[in-house]
Amino acid sequence: MHLIQRMKIWKELRRLEQRAREEPSPTTFVDLGQVYINLEMNDKAQRVAEDGLALFPKSVELRKLLDCARRGLRKQRAVELRTKLTRSPNPKLYRELAQLQIDLGDMTALHATCQEWSVRFPDDAGAWLVLGQARLLNFYRDLAAREGQEAVRCLERAVQMDGEDVQARRLLGEVLYRIGAVSTALDHLQALQAHEEQDPELQALLRHVSSLPDHGSDVDSLLDEVEEHGCLAHPSMTAAQPRASQDESLGRIRDSLAQVAEIPGVRKAAYIKGSRALVKGAIRDGKDPFLRVVRVVAKATHRFARRMDIGSASKSVVDGPFGHICICVYGEVLAGVQCDNGTDLELVLAELQEIVAGSLYSGTHDA
Amino acid sequence: MSKIQEMVVELRSTPGIKGVALITSDGLVAAESLDERYRSEVVAGLTSYLLMTTNRSLREGGLGQCTQFVLHATHGKAVFTTLDDSYLVVLFDQFADLTAARREVQGIASRLRRATRLA
Repeated sequence: MHLIQRMKIWKELRRLEQRAREEPSPTTFVDLGQVYINLEMNDKAQRVAEDGLALFPKSVELRKLLDCARRGLRKQRAVELRTKLTRSPNPKLYRELAQLQIDLGDMTALHATCQEWSVRFPDDAGAWLVLGQARLLNFYRDLAAREGQEAVRCLERAVQMDGEDVQARRLLGEVLYRIGAVSTALDHLQALQAHEEQDPELQALLRHVSSLPDHGSDVDSLLDEVEEHGCLAHPSMTAAQPRASQDESLGRIRDSLAQVAEIPGVRKAAYIKGSRALVKGAIRDGKDPFLRVVRVVAKATHRFARRMDIGSASKSVVDGPFGHICICVYGEVLAGVQCDNGTDLELVLAELQEIVAGSLYSGTHDA
Repeated sequence: MSKIQEMVVELRSTPGIKGVALITSDGLVAAESLDERYRSEVVAGLTSYLLMTTNRSLREGGLGQCTQFVLHATHGKAVFTTLDDSYLVVLFDQFADLTAARREVQGIASRLRRATRLA
């Protein structure tokens, strides 16, 4: 690229940067990001996509731009790793490269890398573990028996080579109980327990697996059954429990909201996540203007704070003839209150913050 | 220096305050004293956007107009006070105690109201 071309591109970039600042919209961010991608400046394209998504979190185009930028970054890193491996091969670099190739979905390159890795380092079980992970991903996605057999074969090989490989044994145990080979899975998980005595997640997994019926130990026929029926024999531990914990966390939010509504002076209180809302106080229905004000103000403050470069908006108080509207927001979760003049605003804001933080905490645990 | 500008500069000297601006309701800067990191036209544009959006949703809900708006963010705070045909914007760092600074802001806001009426 000669100097004049380069100057033209920089001029265009400056124009697009300014446009994205002055007229922020998914299209302006995508246009700018696309130029960066064309220039192979994927890190900048990723930054643009992230900035855009902070303002327009539901934009499909911006998500695509972010994926594209991340993909470009991974490809760049893969090229760097390949060069390094040619100069000085080592298992750590092979592992990183193979993981990138899984993320990129490049199975041909992954097989070539793992083959080279196992030839150069025949005592390293890592290549088998990574191949097993890749096959397992495909199996869980398509429920194809062939992929499952390959996954089990690779993971068994990794466990044979390194009996203390916690990850390989755990993945093997998990896939075995999911297809119905509960007894064989328990053997692996109990062997794992010897290494990870204090792991509460493992204890919970063992309790969950022990409670499931065993369908035998013929892995091939169990995998064929999975493919035939199009579903796994047993649910995962988290899938078996979510309803109870979700109900529980909703109940907690409802209780906290009731507590806020009882603070003297508070007239309306709401907890909003996405398009759903829990309300307390004098709110007639979902069309109550207070709910709309809370949503609009939360979005506007978020945009203001981002553009002013003062971080993320967390709390706001709007005063007017209606009294006060207090809002506490984090990500897509927000809680708001309408209260009279003279209400203890610090107490209200502290309670709202508790609701939002508590909901996020339970949200991460439910997931 | 005009009287309004003097008041803006005076308020800016309060500890924790990183910038003060008087913005007309149509988004023009009438007076300002801002930290280097803030550009007056950006502050004006964003203030106008925030308050117009808020006021529109309040009006549509039959709730009237916003008189003051306090915003807390992770790296800063802001207080917007509605004057007659303008907004007083005060930007703080994240450590500022808004309860303590509120009196100063209210005092200057009242003086600005009088001065803008006279002007």
